[in-house]
Amino acid sequence: MLLSSVIIILREVLEAALLFSIFIALSRQLGFDFKWVAWSLFLGLIGAMIYGLNIDAVSQWYDGVGQEVTNALMQLGIYLMLLLYMLLLSITLFSTGRPNSINHKKTLKPALVFIMIIVSTLAITREGAEVILYFFSVTRSENHLVAVLTGMTIGGSIGISIGFLFYYFLSSLNFKWSIIIGLSLMIMVAAAMVSQASLLLIQADWLPSQLPLWDTSGWLSERSAIGQLMYALIGYEATPTAIQAGLYLCGFIVPILLILGLKFKYNLYP
Amino acid sequence: MKIKPFSYFPFFLIAILLCFFQKNVWADTPIIKIEIRNHLFIPSEILIPENTKVKLIINNLDDTDEEFESYELNREKVIIGKRKGIIFIGPLPAGEYPFFGEFFPKTAQGKVIVK
Repeated sequence: MLLSSVIIILREVLEAALLFSIFIALSRQLGFDFKWVAWSLFLGLIGAMIYGLNIDAVSQWYDGVGQEVTNALMQLGIYLMLLLYMLLLSITLFSTGRPNSINHKKTLKPALVFIMIIVSTLAITREGAEVILYFFSVTRSENHLVAVLTGMTIGGSIGISIGFLFYYFLSSLNFKWSIIIGLSLMIMVAAAMVSQASLLLIQADWLPSQLPLWDTSGWLSERSAIGQLMYALIGYEATPTAIQAGLYLCGFIVPILLILGLKFKYNLYP
Repeated sequence: MKIKPFSYFPFFLIAILLCFFQKNVWADTPIIKIEIRNHLFIPSEILIPENTKVKLIINNLDDTDEEFESYELNREKVIIGKRKGIIFIGPLPAGEYPFFGEFFPKTAQGKVIVK
Protein backbone atom coordinates (compact mmCIF):
# COMPACT_ATOMS: atom_id res chain seq x y z
CA MET A 1 0.00 0.00 0.00
CA LEU A 2 2.89 2.30 0.86
CA LEU A 3 4.69 1.84 -2.45
CA SER A 4 1.56 2.14 -4.58
CA SER A 5 0.57 5.37 -2.87
CA VAL A 6 4.08 6.74 -3.41
CA ILE A 7 3.81 5.98 -7.12
CA ILE A 8 0.28 7.28 -7.67
CA ILE A 9 0.94 10.59 -5.90
CA LEU A 10 4.30 11.02 -7.61
CA ARG A 11 2.65 10.56 -11.00
CA GLU A 12 -0.02 13.11 -10.23
CA VAL A 13 2.29 15.66 -8.62
CA LEU A 14 5.11 15.45 -11.15
CA GLU A 15 3.30 17.15 -14.01
CA ALA A 16 2.01 20.05 -11.93
CA ALA A 17 5.41 20.40 -10.21
CA LEU A 18 7.18 20.74 -13.57
CA LEU A 19 4.74 23.42 -14.72
CA PHE A 20 5.08 25.28 -11.43
CA SER A 21 8.88 25.15 -11.54
CA ILE A 22 8.96 26.66 -15.03
CA PHE A 23 6.45 29.36 -14.08
CA ILE A 24 8.23 30.24 -10.83
CA ALA A 25 11.64 30.40 -12.50
CA LEU A 26 10.29 32.67 -15.26
CA SER A 27 8.44 34.83 -12.71
CA ARG A 28 11.68 35.30 -10.83
CA GLN A 29 13.54 36.28 -13.98
CA LEU A 30 10.78 38.78 -14.85
CA GLY A 31 10.71 40.21 -11.33
CA PHE A 32 7.14 39.15 -10.46
CA ASP A 33 6.11 38.49 -6.87
CA PHE A 34 4.84 35.04 -5.94
CA LYS A 35 1.33 35.82 -4.73
CA TRP A 36 -0.02 33.95 -7.75
CA VAL A 37 1.41 30.69 -6.37
CA ALA A 38 -0.74 30.94 -3.24
CA TRP A 39 -3.80 31.85 -5.32
CA SER A 40 -3.23 28.91 -7.68
CA LEU A 41 -2.83 26.44 -4.82
CA PHE A 42 -5.96 27.78 -3.11
CA LEU A 43 -8.13 27.81 -6.26
CA GLY A 44 -6.67 24.49 -7.43
CA LEU A 45 -7.56 22.76 -4.16
CA ILE A 46 -11.12 24.11 -4.33
CA GLY A 47 -11.33 23.02 -7.98
CA ALA A 48 -10.00 19.54 -7.14
CA MET A 49 -12.57 19.12 -4.37
CA ILE A 50 -15.45 20.25 -6.57
CA TYR A 51 -14.33 18.00 -9.43
CA GLY A 52 -13.59 15.05 -7.14
CA LEU A 53 -16.97 15.27 -5.40
CA ASN A 54 -18.85 15.58 -8.69
CA ILE A 55 -16.91 13.08 -10.76
CA ASP A 56 -19.81 10.64 -10.56
CA ALA A 57 -22.11 13.11 -12.31
CA VAL A 58 -19.40 14.20 -14.73
CA SER A 59 -18.72 10.56 -15.70
CA GLN A 60 -22.32 10.15 -16.88
CA TRP A 61 -22.10 13.01 -19.37
CA TYR A 62 -21.90 12.27 -23.11
CA ASP A 63 -23.02 8.63 -22.80
CA GLY A 64 -20.48 7.80 -20.11
CA VAL A 65 -17.38 9.53 -21.47
CA GLY A 66 -17.81 12.82 -19.60
CA GLN A 67 -14.62 12.25 -17.62
CA GLU A 68 -12.51 11.93 -20.75
CA VAL A 69 -14.12 14.94 -22.41
CA THR A 70 -13.80 17.14 -19.30
CA ASN A 71 -10.15 16.18 -18.77
CA ALA A 72 -9.38 16.70 -22.45
CA LEU A 73 -11.04 20.14 -22.38
CA MET A 74 -9.00 21.09 -19.30
CA GLN A 75 -5.82 19.97 -21.04
CA LEU A 76 -6.66 21.84 -24.22
CA GLY A 77 -7.47 24.86 -22.02
CA ILE A 78 -4.03 24.58 -20.44
CA TYR A 79 -2.49 24.32 -23.91
CA LEU A 80 -4.23 27.46 -25.20
CA MET A 81 -3.33 29.37 -22.04
CA LEU A 82 0.32 28.28 -22.31
CA LEU A 83 0.31 29.37 -25.95
CA LEU A 84 -1.02 32.79 -24.96
CA TYR A 85 1.56 33.01 -22.17
CA MET A 86 4.40 32.26 -24.56
CA LEU A 87 3.16 34.83 -27.06
CA LEU A 88 2.72 37.58 -24.45
CA LEU A 89 6.11 36.79 -22.96
CA SER A 90 7.69 36.93 -26.42
CA ILE A 91 6.05 40.28 -27.12
CA THR A 92 7.35 41.61 -23.80
CA LEU A 93 10.86 40.40 -24.49
CA PHE A 94 11.11 41.31 -28.16
CA SER A 95 9.95 44.85 -27.39
CA THR A 96 12.44 45.29 -24.53
CA GLY A 97 14.86 48.12 -25.17
CA ARG A 98 12.38 49.83 -27.45
CA PRO A 99 10.58 53.04 -26.42
CA ASN A 100 7.31 51.41 -25.40
CA SER A 101 8.92 48.53 -23.54
CA ILE A 102 8.06 49.79 -20.06
CA ASN A 103 4.40 50.14 -20.96
CA HIS A 104 4.41 46.68 -22.40
CA LYS A 105 5.81 45.17 -19.24
CA LYS A 106 3.27 46.99 -17.12
CA THR A 107 0.26 46.01 -19.19
CA LEU A 108 1.33 42.44 -19.86
CA LYS A 109 2.26 41.51 -16.32
CA PRO A 110 -1.33 41.11 -15.05
CA ALA A 111 -2.13 39.01 -18.13
CA LEU A 112 0.87 36.73 -17.56
CA VAL A 113 0.02 36.34 -13.86
CA PHE A 114 -3.64 35.65 -14.70
CA ILE A 115 -2.63 32.92 -17.16
CA MET A 116 -0.29 31.32 -14.65
CA ILE A 117 -3.11 31.18 -12.10
CA ILE A 118 -5.56 29.66 -14.60
CA VAL A 119 -3.07 27.04 -15.87
CA SER A 120 -1.94 26.04 -12.37
CA THR A 121 -5.51 25.90 -11.10
CA LEU A 122 -6.58 23.65 -14.00
CA ALA A 123 -3.55 21.40 -13.50
CA ILE A 124 -4.16 21.02 -9.76
CA THR A 125 -7.89 20.52 -10.28
CA ARG A 126 -7.36 17.60 -12.64
CA GLU A 127 -4.55 15.88 -10.76
CA GLY A 128 -5.85 16.78 -7.31
CA ALA A 129 -9.29 15.29 -7.94
CA GLU A 130 -7.67 11.91 -8.62
CA VAL A 131 -5.60 12.16 -5.46
CA ILE A 132 -8.73 12.93 -3.42
CA LEU A 133 -10.64 9.99 -4.94
CA TYR A 134 -7.66 7.72 -4.33
CA PHE A 135 -7.29 8.82 -0.73
CA PHE A 136 -10.94 8.29 0.18
CA SER A 137 -11.19 4.97 -1.67
CA VAL A 138 -8.12 3.46 -0.08
CA THR A 139 -8.74 4.69 3.45
CA ARG A 140 -12.38 3.60 3.34
CA SER A 141 -11.72 0.06 2.23
CA GLU A 142 -8.68 -0.85 4.26
CA ASN A 143 -7.12 0.27 7.49
CA HIS A 144 -3.94 1.61 6.03
CA LEU A 145 -4.28 5.26 6.85
CA VAL A 146 -0.71 5.66 8.15
CA ALA A 147 0.84 3.76 5.24
CA VAL A 148 -1.18 5.73 2.70
CA LEU A 149 -0.42 9.09 4.30
CA THR A 150 3.28 8.20 4.53
CA GLY A 151 3.30 7.07 0.92
CA MET A 152 1.51 10.19 -0.24
CA THR A 153 3.96 12.39 1.65
CA ILE A 154 6.97 10.58 0.17
CA GLY A 155 5.51 10.62 -3.36
CA GLY A 156 4.54 14.27 -3.08
CA SER A 157 7.97 15.19 -1.73
CA ILE A 158 9.77 13.41 -4.57
CA GLY A 159 7.57 15.17 -7.13
CA ILE A 160 8.10 18.58 -5.54
CA SER A 161 11.85 17.91 -5.26
CA ILE A 162 12.06 17.20 -8.97
CA GLY A 163 10.20 20.48 -9.53
CA PHE A 164 12.78 22.24 -7.33
CA LEU A 165 15.61 20.68 -9.32
CA PHE A 166 14.15 22.12 -12.51
CA TYR A 167 13.64 25.47 -10.80
CA TYR A 168 17.25 25.64 -9.61
CA PHE A 169 18.48 24.53 -12.99
CA LEU A 170 16.51 27.30 -14.74
CA SER A 171 17.50 29.88 -12.11
CA SER A 172 21.19 29.05 -12.43
CA LEU A 173 21.18 30.19 -16.06
CA ASN A 174 21.49 33.79 -17.18
CA PHE A 175 18.38 35.75 -18.20
CA LYS A 176 18.46 34.95 -21.90
CA TRP A 177 19.09 31.24 -21.53
CA SER A 178 16.64 30.72 -18.69
CA ILE A 179 13.93 32.28 -20.88
CA ILE A 180 14.91 30.22 -23.92
CA ILE A 181 15.10 26.93 -22.00
CA GLY A 182 12.02 27.81 -19.94
CA LEU A 183 10.04 28.46 -23.12
CA SER A 184 11.37 25.29 -24.74
CA LEU A 185 10.30 23.22 -21.73
CA MET A 186 6.93 24.97 -21.82
CA ILE A 187 6.47 24.11 -25.49
CA MET A 188 7.16 20.45 -24.70
CA VAL A 189 4.78 20.40 -21.73
CA ALA A 190 2.15 22.14 -23.88
CA ALA A 191 2.54 19.63 -26.71
CA ALA A 192 2.27 16.85 -24.12
CA MET A 193 -1.09 18.32 -23.08
CA VAL A 194 -2.35 18.12 -26.66
CA SER A 195 -1.14 14.55 -26.93
CA GLN A 196 -2.85 13.53 -23.67
CA ALA A 197 -6.05 15.30 -24.66
CA SER A 198 -6.08 13.49 -28.01
CA LEU A 199 -5.53 10.19 -26.23
CA LEU A 200 -8.51 10.85 -23.97
CA LEU A 201 -10.70 11.74 -26.95
CA ILE A 202 -9.61 8.51 -28.67
CA GLN A 203 -10.48 6.62 -25.47
CA ALA A 204 -13.91 8.29 -25.53
CA ASP A 205 -14.30 7.39 -29.24
CA TRP A 206 -14.64 11.06 -30.14
CA LEU A 207 -11.50 10.79 -32.26
CA PRO A 208 -11.07 7.77 -34.54
CA SER A 209 -8.94 4.97 -33.14
CA GLN A 210 -6.07 3.60 -35.18
CA LEU A 211 -3.34 1.02 -34.95
CA PRO A 212 -0.23 2.35 -33.20
CA LEU A 213 2.30 3.94 -35.55
CA TRP A 214 5.30 2.46 -33.78
CA ASP A 215 6.28 0.74 -30.53
CA THR A 216 9.28 2.05 -28.62
CA SER A 217 8.41 0.31 -25.33
CA GLY A 218 11.42 -1.98 -25.73
CA TRP A 219 13.65 1.07 -25.90
CA LEU A 220 12.00 3.17 -23.18
CA SER A 221 9.11 1.69 -21.23
CA GLU A 222 6.37 4.02 -19.99
CA ARG A 223 6.51 2.07 -16.74
CA SER A 224 10.12 3.02 -16.02
CA ALA A 225 11.04 6.05 -13.91
CA ILE A 226 12.56 7.84 -16.89
CA GLY A 227 9.55 6.89 -18.99
CA GLN A 228 7.28 8.49 -16.38
CA LEU A 229 9.37 11.65 -16.26
CA MET A 230 9.43 11.82 -20.06
CA TYR A 231 5.64 11.31 -20.08
CA ALA A 232 5.17 14.32 -17.79
CA LEU A 233 7.79 16.45 -19.51
CA ILE A 234 7.45 15.75 -23.23
CA GLY A 235 4.31 13.59 -23.34
CA TYR A 236 6.26 10.44 -24.17
CA GLU A 237 4.11 7.59 -25.48
CA ALA A 238 5.61 4.27 -26.53
CA THR A 239 2.74 3.41 -28.89
CA PRO A 240 1.10 6.55 -30.32
CA THR A 241 -1.42 6.48 -33.14
CA ALA A 242 -1.09 8.68 -36.24
CA ILE A 243 -3.69 11.18 -35.01
CA GLN A 244 -2.03 11.48 -31.63
CA ALA A 245 1.43 11.93 -33.13
CA GLY A 246 0.05 14.41 -35.68
CA LEU A 247 -1.70 16.52 -33.06
CA TYR A 248 1.41 16.39 -30.84
CA LEU A 249 3.45 17.69 -33.75
CA CYS A 250 0.91 20.49 -34.39
CA GLY A 251 0.94 21.35 -30.69
CA PHE A 252 4.73 21.52 -30.85
CA ILE A 253 5.09 23.47 -34.07
CA VAL A 254 2.37 26.12 -33.61
CA PRO A 255 4.03 27.94 -30.67
CA ILE A 256 7.44 27.79 -32.37
CA LEU A 257 6.05 29.28 -35.59
CA LEU A 258 4.14 31.98 -33.73
CA ILE A 259 7.16 32.97 -31.60
CA LEU A 260 9.41 33.06 -34.67
CA GLY A 261 6.72 35.05 -36.50
CA LEU A 262 6.64 37.58 -33.67
CA LYS A 263 10.41 37.84 -33.65
CA PHE A 264 10.38 38.42 -37.39
CA LYS A 265 7.70 41.10 -37.02
CA TYR A 266 9.52 42.92 -34.22
CA ASN A 267 12.80 42.85 -36.13
CA LEU A 268 11.00 44.26 -39.15
CA TYR A 269 8.99 47.00 -37.42
CA PRO A 270 10.74 47.88 -34.18
CA MET B 1 0.04 43.84 -51.78
CA LYS B 2 1.44 43.00 -48.37
CA ILE B 3 1.77 39.29 -47.75
CA LYS B 4 0.75 38.04 -44.34
CA PRO B 5 1.96 34.47 -44.18
CA PHE B 6 0.22 33.67 -40.87
CA SER B 7 -3.21 35.14 -41.55
CA TYR B 8 -4.71 31.95 -43.01
CA PHE B 9 -2.97 29.66 -40.60
CA PRO B 10 -5.77 29.45 -37.98
CA PHE B 11 -8.34 28.47 -40.62
CA PHE B 12 -6.02 25.85 -41.99
CA LEU B 13 -5.53 24.44 -38.50
CA ILE B 14 -9.26 24.41 -37.73
CA ALA B 15 -9.91 22.61 -41.03
CA ILE B 16 -7.41 19.91 -40.12
CA LEU B 17 -8.87 19.55 -36.64
CA LEU B 18 -12.41 19.29 -37.99
CA CYS B 19 -11.35 16.36 -40.15
CA PHE B 20 -10.38 14.51 -36.99
CA PHE B 21 -13.52 15.28 -35.02
CA GLN B 22 -15.99 12.90 -36.56
CA LYS B 23 -17.80 10.39 -34.47
CA ASN B 24 -18.08 6.84 -35.73
CA VAL B 25 -21.76 6.29 -35.03
CA TRP B 26 -22.11 3.54 -37.58
CA ALA B 27 -19.29 1.35 -36.34
CA ASP B 28 -20.43 -2.00 -35.00
CA THR B 29 -18.16 -2.22 -31.99
CA PRO B 30 -17.96 -5.48 -30.01
CA ILE B 31 -18.72 -5.06 -26.31
CA ILE B 32 -16.82 -6.79 -23.51
CA LYS B 33 -17.93 -6.62 -19.90
CA ILE B 34 -15.60 -6.70 -16.93
CA GLU B 35 -16.53 -6.56 -13.26
CA ILE B 36 -14.52 -5.18 -10.39
CA ARG B 37 -15.26 -7.16 -7.23
CA ASN B 38 -13.20 -7.05 -4.02
CA HIS B 39 -10.50 -5.15 -5.95
CA LEU B 40 -10.24 -7.91 -8.56
CA PHE B 41 -10.97 -7.72 -12.26
CA ILE B 42 -13.39 -10.50 -13.27
CA PRO B 43 -12.52 -11.90 -15.75
CA SER B 44 -8.91 -10.87 -15.37
CA GLU B 45 -8.04 -11.99 -18.89
CA ILE B 46 -10.03 -10.91 -21.88
CA LEU B 47 -9.57 -12.04 -25.44
CA ILE B 48 -10.14 -9.63 -28.33
CA PRO B 49 -9.56 -10.02 -32.07
CA GLU B 50 -6.64 -8.36 -33.81
CA ASN B 51 -7.13 -4.94 -35.46
CA THR B 52 -10.55 -4.45 -33.91
CA LYS B 53 -11.90 -1.65 -31.78
CA VAL B 54 -13.66 -2.93 -28.66
CA LYS B 55 -15.90 -1.24 -26.12
CA LEU B 56 -15.10 -2.27 -22.54
CA ILE B 57 -17.88 -1.81 -20.02
CA ILE B 58 -16.36 -1.97 -16.57
CA ASN B 59 -18.83 -2.51 -13.77
CA ASN B 60 -17.38 -1.57 -10.41
CA LEU B 61 -19.33 -3.57 -7.80
CA ASP B 62 -17.12 -2.38 -4.92
CA ASP B 63 -18.01 0.60 -2.76
CA THR B 64 -14.62 2.10 -3.50
CA ASP B 65 -13.49 3.87 -6.65
CA GLU B 66 -10.89 2.31 -8.90
CA GLU B 67 -8.76 3.67 -11.70
CA PHE B 68 -8.43 1.45 -14.75
CA GLU B 69 -4.91 2.00 -15.98
CA SER B 70 -2.75 0.51 -18.69
CA TYR B 71 0.51 1.80 -20.10
CA GLU B 72 0.38 -0.71 -22.92
CA LEU B 73 -3.17 0.21 -23.92
CA ASN B 74 -2.61 3.93 -23.24
CA ARG B 75 -5.75 4.08 -21.14
CA GLU B 76 -6.69 5.51 -17.78
CA LYS B 77 -10.10 6.14 -16.29
CA VAL B 78 -11.60 6.45 -12.85
CA ILE B 79 -14.46 3.99 -12.32
CA ILE B 80 -16.56 5.24 -9.41
CA GLY B 81 -17.72 2.67 -6.84
CA LYS B 82 -21.07 1.04 -7.69
CA ARG B 83 -20.93 2.55 -11.18
CA LYS B 84 -20.09 1.48 -14.72
CA GLY B 85 -17.43 3.00 -16.93
CA ILE B 86 -16.93 2.79 -20.68
CA ILE B 87 -13.49 2.57 -22.28
CA PHE B 88 -12.77 2.05 -25.95
CA ILE B 89 -9.62 0.10 -26.76
CA GLY B 90 -7.95 -1.00 -29.98
CA PRO B 91 -7.46 -1.61 -32.83
CA LEU B 92 -4.34 -3.42 -31.66
CA PRO B 93 -1.74 -5.74 -33.12
CA ALA B 94 -1.54 -9.24 -31.64
CA GLY B 95 0.05 -9.42 -28.22
CA GLU B 96 -0.57 -9.14 -24.51
CA TYR B 97 -1.55 -5.84 -22.90
CA PRO B 98 -1.55 -5.79 -19.10
CA PHE B 99 -3.88 -3.47 -17.21
CA PHE B 100 -4.30 -2.77 -13.51
CA GLY B 101 -6.34 -0.88 -10.97
CA GLU B 102 -4.17 2.01 -9.93
CA PHE B 103 -5.90 2.42 -6.57
CA PHE B 104 -5.54 -1.25 -5.58
CA PRO B 105 -2.69 -2.54 -7.78
CA LYS B 106 -1.79 -5.41 -5.47
CA THR B 107 -4.90 -7.37 -6.42
CA ALA B 108 -6.48 -5.55 -9.35
CA GLN B 109 -4.45 -6.94 -12.23
CA GLY B 110 -5.48 -8.20 -15.62
CA LYS B 111 -4.56 -8.39 -19.26
CA VAL B 112 -6.03 -8.03 -22.69
CA ILE B 113 -4.92 -10.77 -25.06
CA VAL B 114 -5.14 -9.81 -28.70
CA LYS B 115 -5.16 -12.71 -31.17
